[in-house]
Amino acid sequence: MKKTISALISVFVMLTILSACSGGGGSETNSNANNNGATAAPTASEESAAPEDGGDSAIKGEVVYLTNRTDMIDKEYVDYEKRFEAKYPGVDLKFEAITDYDKTLKVRMASGQFPDVVLLPTIPNNELPDYFAPLDDIEFSGDIYFKELKAHEGKMYGVSSGGSSVGIVYNKKAFEKAGITAVPKTYNEFLAVAQKLKDAGIVPLASNFKDKWPLDAWLYDVPTLVGEASDHQNKRADTDAPYAMDNVYGKSWSMLREMYEKGYLEKDVNSTNWEQSKKDVASGKFGMYLLGNWVINQVIENGAAPEDIGFFPFPADNSGAAKAPLNPDWFYGVNKDGNVEAAKAFVKWMIEESGFDEFAGFIPTLKDKQPALPQLVEFNSYNPTYFEPAPPVDAATQIQNKAQLDQGAVLQEFVLSKDPQKVLDKVNASWAKAKKDLGL
Amino acid sequence: MLSGMSIQKQRKLIIFSFITVPLLLLLTFAYYPALELVRLSFTDWDGISADKTYIGWANYKEVFSNPEIFGVFRNNVAYFVVGIVQNIAAIYFAVVLNGKLKGKNLFRLLLFLPYILNGVAVAFLFGYVYDTTNGSLNLLLGQLGFDQLAETSWLGQSQLVDYSLASISFWRFMGFNMVIYLAALQSIPSDLYEAASIDGANGWQKFIYITLPNIYKIIELNLFLTVTGALEVFDLPFVLTKGGPAGASETFVLKIVETAFQFNNYGLASAMSVVLLLFVIIVLSIQRYLLKGKGE
Repeated sequence: MKKTISALISVFVMLTILSACSGGGGSETNSNANNNGATAAPTASEESAAPEDGGDSAIKGEVVYLTNRTDMIDKEYVDYEKRFEAKYPGVDLKFEAITDYDKTLKVRMASGQFPDVVLLPTIPNNELPDYFAPLDDIEFSGDIYFKELKAHEGKMYGVSSGGSSVGIVYNKKAFEKAGITAVPKTYNEFLAVAQKLKDAGIVPLASNFKDKWPLDAWLYDVPTLVGEASDHQNKRADTDAPYAMDNVYGKSWSMLREMYEKGYLEKDVNSTNWEQSKKDVASGKFGMYLLGNWVINQVIENGAAPEDIGFFPFPADNSGAAKAPLNPDWFYGVNKDGNVEAAKAFVKWMIEESGFDEFAGFIPTLKDKQPALPQLVEFNSYNPTYFEPAPPVDAATQIQNKAQLDQGAVLQEFVLSKDPQKVLDKVNASWAKAKKDLGL
Repeated sequence: MLSGMSIQKQRKLIIFSFITVPLLLLLTFAYYPALELVRLSFTDWDGISADKTYIGWANYKEVFSNPEIFGVFRNNVAYFVVGIVQNIAAIYFAVVLNGKLKGKNLFRLLLFLPYILNGVAVAFLFGYVYDTTNGSLNLLLGQLGFDQLAETSWLGQSQLVDYSLASISFWRFMGFNMVIYLAALQSIPSDLYEAASIDGANGWQKFIYITLPNIYKIIELNLFLTVTGALEVFDLPFVLTKGGPAGASETFVLKIVETAFQFNNYGLASAMSVVLLLFVIIVLSIQRYLLKGKGE
């Protein structure tokens, strides 16, 4: 009997060992990398803050930047490393690229050790000081965008790697063919342009309605332009009926509905194809997109000549004033237990000298710097007033999750429904109920 | 190590240790998560926070009282209806391909092939077939002269979309059902048919009185697969329509995934999963009850 038991135990032991193997495999590589980041940390960070100019003695040791751009490893980053280390000879810069960035980084932060420079994960702003060093003492050569967005109690913990805007991306050849000579400055002009495109046999606006996410601009950006304020998503938490025909959402969504009814969108909006739409905008079968400037390079990759693609602010009203949202990309953050001084120098260098914003097609974080993408230059030539986003408020997100509200689906229903008011009533009812249930 | 034991003991030891491994795997990876699911269904866990507050039956009340949640079963009906048709077609093809037919192995292969394809790949493929303006289906209809029909939005009409999607699973699983029926048909002794022929039975009578009773158990099995498949369909609407237009093709599992991973409401999603499990058990019990005793 004893032997039976010992045999059984050995089976157990083997099983646990096996499972431990598979569990450990993933984390092992992580902890190695963490150690790389941490070993050099104390030496540099203990010295006092010093100006960031080249060759300073405080800026030395190893700096690890955890990036999400796996495509730049062994390519652009080789050049970045060479240039950065030439400026700061005492620094050993290393890049580590991971996928599924947000989730992986959170796990590594929970373990207590993570690289010196990271892209800030989605955590509430009041938790930022627990992990990251304040970056207010980096002296940039000019004013920067998005200062307030990753801040807590007056201190800034994140510097945006770049910005992007949302507007109308259009095919100039298609506009020419339809006899359109100037880009529309008002909403009525915009509708007239759409009509002309339609008459010329071109689909005026590629909405990619079916895929839902391309409609995000109508949820977040167009309401910003209509209300000339970017905190509309947060303000929903103050009311029981955030969606109404005469507020920013009703007004924005009615525009899409109007275009749908007038036949300015794809022939069958429930059967759209995103990949195909890029080719069609490139070839001029479709006239316009309402999307971020990130799509411009993708349209060009799909066969459009760069000079044929233009970008102008979406005229959300008839005032004639150009307005555009300005949305941040990932934010750089510095590990407060890492090689802080060298990390800050790296962040400053990334913003000012690396040329990353040009490579990525961003609007530079430095307000004075002109974007490199010609379409963005065109966009800025209309002198749009930029609206920076407001820091998110938890309450609105909580209610939205409790009410299981998918705004994209609501917008789709709003456009397709015979009675849009009913759709809004239904959403408001579930919003009010969720708000009450949460006691907010 | 084993030499000191009696044969009896050795036997027991071997059997015991061999069974322990799969049992442990089963317990850790199937039963423990299932129990954990039930436990979570009584909490309001949001998927991130450390504390899981016990909230009693509130999640279950929500599942049954909220028409937005329970009402989506309506959309699963289409898959069930098409599933029945699919089984009838499968029996038909099985009988035809069980007889004397030139190139029957080729036909069997052709009908079975779709089952091997990956579900997501199939969904993508049909995305191109059903496309309204550039799709091959509408192109074919147009070429055949059905101009009106060639304008159909297969995935864009709320009355049609579920049947369009269910037809894809018909295409995909019919061959699989057919192969199971074929195996059953081949196990029927041929002297039964011979005797029936001598008695003067025609083909239809042979089918009704010999074939059907002999494959009854298999029909039951295939219906079981069809019903659970209809209740748990997920990949097709997830890839092709995301539940649209306006929720017309949303299935229960799609709703569960949304609740958990989009709205971070893991507690409610767990309750929905438990309800789905119960639902499958209930539907199967009814089916067993209705078919009980026949074919024995």
